[in-house]
Amino acid sequence: MTVATEALTYDLPQRPTGIRAFGKSCTQFMAQKRLGAVGLIIVVFWVLIAFIAALVPGAVPKLVDEDRVFDAPNPDYKANPTIPELAKNPDIGSPVIVARYEDPTGEHWFGTDNAGRDIYSRTIYGARLSLTVGFGASVIAVGLGMVIGVTSGFYRGWIDLIFQRFVDALQAFPALVLLLLLVQIAEPSVRNTVLAMGFIGIPIATRLVRSAVFATAATDYVMAARAMGATDMRVMMRHVLPNIAAVLLVAFSIGIGAYILFEATISFLGVGPRGVVSWGKMVADGRANIDVHPWLSVFAGAALASLVVGFNFLGDALRDVLDPRLRGSR
Amino acid sequence: MTDYIIRRTLLNVIVLWMVATLVFFALRVLPGNYAVNQFAASNIGAVTPEVIAQAEAELGLDKPVLQQYREFMWDTVRLDLGDSFRSKRPVWAEIRRALPYSMELGLLVVLVGFSVAIPVGIVSAVKQDLWPDYLLRGVAIGALAAPVFWTASLAVIVVLKFSLFRIDVIGQPHIWEEPQAALQWYLIPMVAGGLASTANTMRLLRSQMLEVMRDDYVRTARAKGLQERQVVMRHALRNAFLPVITVMGLTVATIISSQIVLEQMFLIPGVGRLLFQSIFLRDYPLTQGLVLITTVVIVFTNLAVDILYGVLDPRVRLA
Repeated sequence: MTVATEALTYDLPQRPTGIRAFGKSCTQFMAQKRLGAVGLIIVVFWVLIAFIAALVPGAVPKLVDEDRVFDAPNPDYKANPTIPELAKNPDIGSPVIVARYEDPTGEHWFGTDNAGRDIYSRTIYGARLSLTVGFGASVIAVGLGMVIGVTSGFYRGWIDLIFQRFVDALQAFPALVLLLLLVQIAEPSVRNTVLAMGFIGIPIATRLVRSAVFATAATDYVMAARAMGATDMRVMMRHVLPNIAAVLLVAFSIGIGAYILFEATISFLGVGPRGVVSWGKMVADGRANIDVHPWLSVFAGAALASLVVGFNFLGDALRDVLDPRLRGSR
Repeated sequence: MTDYIIRRTLLNVIVLWMVATLVFFALRVLPGNYAVNQFAASNIGAVTPEVIAQAEAELGLDKPVLQQYREFMWDTVRLDLGDSFRSKRPVWAEIRRALPYSMELGLLVVLVGFSVAIPVGIVSAVKQDLWPDYLLRGVAIGALAAPVFWTASLAVIVVLKFSLFRIDVIGQPHIWEEPQAALQWYLIPMVAGGLASTANTMRLLRSQMLEVMRDDYVRTARAKGLQERQVVMRHALRNAFLPVITVMGLTVATIISSQIVLEQMFLIPGVGRLLFQSIFLRDYPLTQGLVLITTVVIVFTNLAVDILYGVLDPRVRLA
């Protein structure tokens, strides 16, 4: 008899826990998914840049929107210009002139823009808006998508039918048009832009969550929990949600690049958030004199594209690792 | 099959009704309306509330919102989209004038998109994990990430720097009227839009090709001594191509979004530009009509693609 009890005791294999486990899975991820690692590096780079610009005083010069570069003394300066002289040269009345459209120099790495502002600082500052919008909109979209998707996938029946038609309608509505309508409802602040874009993202998040809930709700452990008399709420919170965590993470990461592009697009079209530096707005500002001074459009757009590439690489890799079923789908 | 088409069509009608409702109420929630905005813009000295009220009455904006909604629904069911507030012309006439421009650009974008995506997808799969694969995939992912207004701007820079051709085309030529002038006008938007729509198709085609190339019939084709070229083009590609068709349907929605930006940038008087302007003017009937038309195009393209899929691949049963 004693032999049997001894045979039953064995050590569970030790799995690293806590921060070390996280570190280990990160290293594994980086080794397996090289493009994902590149994406992660790009994203971390921009996040760091955004934080340094915000937190370290003087790290990035000429931060504020109104700051102009008044560094060129005006060779034509006259104390009391006449009106015809002013008409010929509007800058004649001021001792220093705004250095508009400077080419890249040692002092202004990316040159200056149409209002004489340092493009390099503004490019760095633009990262804050893009990251805020990307993460914020994704949180909202996944949050709402989770509520709708879990309810819809769990109860099915007519609730599912109604929710899905709503999602269909949102998906059939051209996203940019819906966004153009939504952002005008309230004043164009960063918060309202984020809210509007989160709303646009509902269909994709809901679709992903719903199908994952379908799969989870059909498992034995959910049936067992039900048999033990667990309430719907308890089954959803304790059994369904933890098991779709991976899908939620995928849904979160996969949309960020698209939201950043959407913000840039509406800012380019002139209806983006006001009072902040936006890469899309910078590209639009650069278009007026693009033949002679292309720098503004070039740098702002390159920053934008690099950040979106980073999020796309990272999102694709996370999806492959966490949910191989979704590979090849969008 | 017939059942499936009928059911999907009915579902589409419901979706269209929801979209119509959504756009109707979204427009009414927006601050200001056409009458108010016109007077605000015109700087006329004495704009009394009575003047505005009279203008609103002329446009039918004084009625209760629910009554407006009922009338809009009834008119829409009878395929009457009303008259544009600004031009006073029927919305259908506006659509008829704008649609050819958008169709032209849209088809050119699709043409560029697929003529890039298909060869790139094939080469990328055949040379899997060799340098052409990495290079082409890198470019494709870059094209997906680069905003279309930026690639278009870069193209403009290049064209202007090297004086390749004139961009400021006179008039608004259709491609069947003045092919050369129209092509100059459309070249940059069509290449920028086409590249942006390439990435998804190319990636899917590549992964499908990789899967198919491992199938038995491809090995058989090689074993019986066919040239590699024939194996790839006749045996692999044809089978890999099916799922790509579904992506074509999804691409339509993306193209419509990028169309708004491109038409706005290059002053093409198409549906996208008209829609953009009508939203800002609060030209309710025009916005509603254009949104409905684009949604009809999107949902029925998707339906057509699904049916086509079933027709091309007998293994797929539509139910």
